[in-house]
Amino acid sequence: MKLAFVRFLLRLYPAVWRERYGSEFSELLESEEVRFSTLADVIRSAISERISPTVGATMNQQTYPLRVVLKQPAAFLPLAMSLGALTVVVATATIFGIRRQPDEGTPAHLWQLLMAGQLPLLLFFVIQWWVRAPRQTIYVLALQAGAFVLAAAPVFFLHL
Amino acid sequence: MRSTTSNVVDVEKAQYSDPPLLILASLASGPKHGHAMIEDVFFLCGTRLGPGTLYGAIARLEQQQLIEPLAPEERRQPYRITADGVRVLRAKLNTLYKFSKVGLERLSTL
Repeated sequence: MKLAFVRFLLRLYPAVWRERYGSEFSELLESEEVRFSTLADVIRSAISERISPTVGATMNQQTYPLRVVLKQPAAFLPLAMSLGALTVVVATATIFGIRRQPDEGTPAHLWQLLMAGQLPLLLFFVIQWWVRAPRQTIYVLALQAGAFVLAAAPVFFLHL
Repeated sequence: MRSTTSNVVDVEKAQYSDPPLLILASLASGPKHGHAMIEDVFFLCGTRLGPGTLYGAIARLEQQQLIEPLAPEERRQPYRITADGVRVLRAKLNTLYKFSKVGLERLSTL
């Protein structure tokens, strides 16, 4: 492989990993031919190293259990807001029946505020946690996305 | 109609793939750098480890102190198996030996 391409592949790995293994790994890659299987292997390994870093390469990096990340306000507030929005929809449908509100009343505005208000929190959460705990961040984002879809689905499917 | 060819096991291409174990087994015959490990593992069992897989396993084995780096030879970094590595390798190979022995005995009765 050409040196420039090897350097590009190396950049896929975390900096701490590159510091430890970069020199010997690039020497090995330079002796390899460019093959799809080799590229796939390196990319898969780099993604794996990003998601679940080798502890030896990140001895100074603190690890965060999922429950610790979930306790952060930026993590659980969007979940609570989605569930709140869902509660508004269910309560409104129970009281007034499943019909569109022509005047965009209080429940509709409340639902919109709860759904839109969590987007800045989500952005803040990603900025705050993506580097520190990428895997846990993905899990929390998946939960938040699920809750968001759950709260939005009745409104769109029932044309409320 | 669905093809059944993907369900057919190609015995000749069946490869053993447990990168940490393969690396430990390779280093059991002496210190080696990455490229030499790839060649040795291929010689041992026909499995060609990719560079990413190899270094993923090396990093974890080093973290577990089952292998350790030696003085670099230019840009190549040789590794050797540690005493703990020898113990783990022996235990794993013994398990595999018992497993394959029983498995082959059962096959012989078919």
